[in-house]
Amino acid sequence: MRIICKDLSFSYEPKKKNTAYALENVSLTIEEGEFFGIIGHTGSGKSTFIQHLNALVPLQSGELLVGEFDLDTKNKQYKKNLKALRSKVGMVFQYPEYQLFAESVFEDVAFGLKNFYPELSLKQIEQKVKYAIELVGLNYYQIKDKSPFDLSGGQKRRVAIAGVLVTDPEILVMDEPVAGLDPVGKKELMDLLHSFKKGNKTVIIVSHDMDEVCENCSRIAIMQGGKVVKVGKPSEVFTELPDENLELPVVARLKNALKTKGVEIDCKLESDDFIEEIVKKYKERNGR
Amino acid sequence: MDSRVKILLLIAYFVAIFLVSNFWGFAVAGAFIVLAILFARVPVISVLKSVKSILFLVLFTVILNLFFYSGEYKVIYWQVGDFIQITDSSVIFSAFMALRLTMLVMGSSLLTLTTTPVELTDGIESLLSPLKVIKFPVHELALIMSIALRFIPTLADETERIICAQKARGGDFESGGIAKRAKAMIPILIPLLVSSFRRAEELGDAMDARCYSGSKGRTRYKKMKIGYRDVIATVLVAVVIFLIVYFNKIFVGII
Ligand SMILES: Nc1ncnc2c1ncn2[C@@H]1O[C@H](COP(=O)(O)OP(=O)(O)O)[C@@H](O)[C@H]1O
Ligand SMILES: [Mg+2]
Repeated sequence: MRIICKDLSFSYEPKKKNTAYALENVSLTIEEGEFFGIIGHTGSGKSTFIQHLNALVPLQSGELLVGEFDLDTKNKQYKKNLKALRSKVGMVFQYPEYQLFAESVFEDVAFGLKNFYPELSLKQIEQKVKYAIELVGLNYYQIKDKSPFDLSGGQKRRVAIAGVLVTDPEILVMDEPVAGLDPVGKKELMDLLHSFKKGNKTVIIVSHDMDEVCENCSRIAIMQGGKVVKVGKPSEVFTELPDENLELPVVARLKNALKTKGVEIDCKLESDDFIEEIVKKYKERNGR
Repeated sequence: MDSRVKILLLIAYFVAIFLVSNFWGFAVAGAFIVLAILFARVPVISVLKSVKSILFLVLFTVILNLFFYSGEYKVIYWQVGDFIQITDSSVIFSAFMALRLTMLVMGSSLLTLTTTPVELTDGIESLLSPLKVIKFPVHELALIMSIALRFIPTLADETERIICAQKARGGDFESGGIAKRAKAMIPILIPLLVSSFRRAEELGDAMDARCYSGSKGRTRYKKMKIGYRDVIATVLVAVVIFLIVYFNKIFVGII
């Protein structure tokens, strides 16, 4: 599913005069199968933007198409389509572990499934829940009957994510997914996202960690004060400091530092690629 | 102004409003509250907004009193059956009720608009402090009040977020009958409770870490002091009460 967004503007207090806009004329197209990153300083409108994708906030002005769904509230199909849209667009909020509520992990993961597909049999539900729990790297049989409140922080987050993945959404949107995780947890989560993305799914992550976005995303949008100021591949976007509150990713900084010393490295902004290039350059020199 | 004086004067003003028994008294009380609002420089719109929020209640009481008031009367304007009737006294009585309610709300909104919740709880704590003699935990009560006030917006935010998250998982909170809706609230209420407990625990730890030990020997950041404004306001309220009582005496009738 492709996301097309044109001139989207949004204010939390639309009736006020001279109101502050959380989003201002945002235009963005996200293709199917992209691993898309949205970065920006706190308050730049990232969360507001992604909540639009799931119709959690009503469209105020502009156009937004998510796959075949037109999110214009004046659209006659709007109300009817909401459920179908939300089953296709999975949304993982910031600190998703705080949304757990059920008595058992199984019930919590099955919540979305039962809401979207009430016709499923118990057997089908079990099968899908098992798939989702294993996808997030947990042991289904060990964990399914436990209370979600007895789990560790990292496990809770995985369960919460499983509760979104269980409906097999076409687009997965995550708001600050790695906030508060340790480095190993971050890496595992990113690997999980990459493996989920395999079936030509779209993954959109919101972050303010340049390195993480840079390493993982195929395309990036930088937001600032409710506007999208830059869109493109990491190597296109991170050429100069986009915002004094943001720092370039480590690789880009290293590249710039080497350039000032007269060493040009031409590579993608991923650490593996960068190291490979450096090694190549080094060997070239020594070979001479 | 000192928040203690404000609270006491508000109570006095409430009593005065209930003492009023003719329109002259209302004129005095009305003039007073309008003047007070102007002097306090609070936006008139905010006062009107709080009046608007009880408009329904006012209309409700007016309509009930208009039809069902059964005091002595001289003239009947309209009558259905034995009980439902509009008389001269029911018209006047319901007008009184409407005026009373409106003025009460104007007075209390003036207090809440000019006083921060912290000042308010400090004031209440100080006013209740005589109760300490009978071992009533005044300080703790005030602390509970201020914590509750402090966390209302936090919880509101949290609720909003949880609702969003469950909606995204297909939770439906807007359709179905009462039983279905009540059941749909569970996925919201449980996370909310859990996070309230978490917050309470964190807050407790934070207070311990700062060596909080209750009211004993505790000093204040803001000292409450009575100033010349408080004296003026008190005198004014006294004058208002005197006038109301006086008018009640000289104009014995309703008008
Ligand atoms: N529920 C809300 N009510 C009012 N204003 C809000 C609300 N949520 C966010 N805002 C405002 O909208 C702007 C964008 O916020 P947000 O989208 O949460 O930014 P980000 O996720 O990038 O930190 C901010 O200025 C914020 O203060
Ligand atoms: Mg955010």
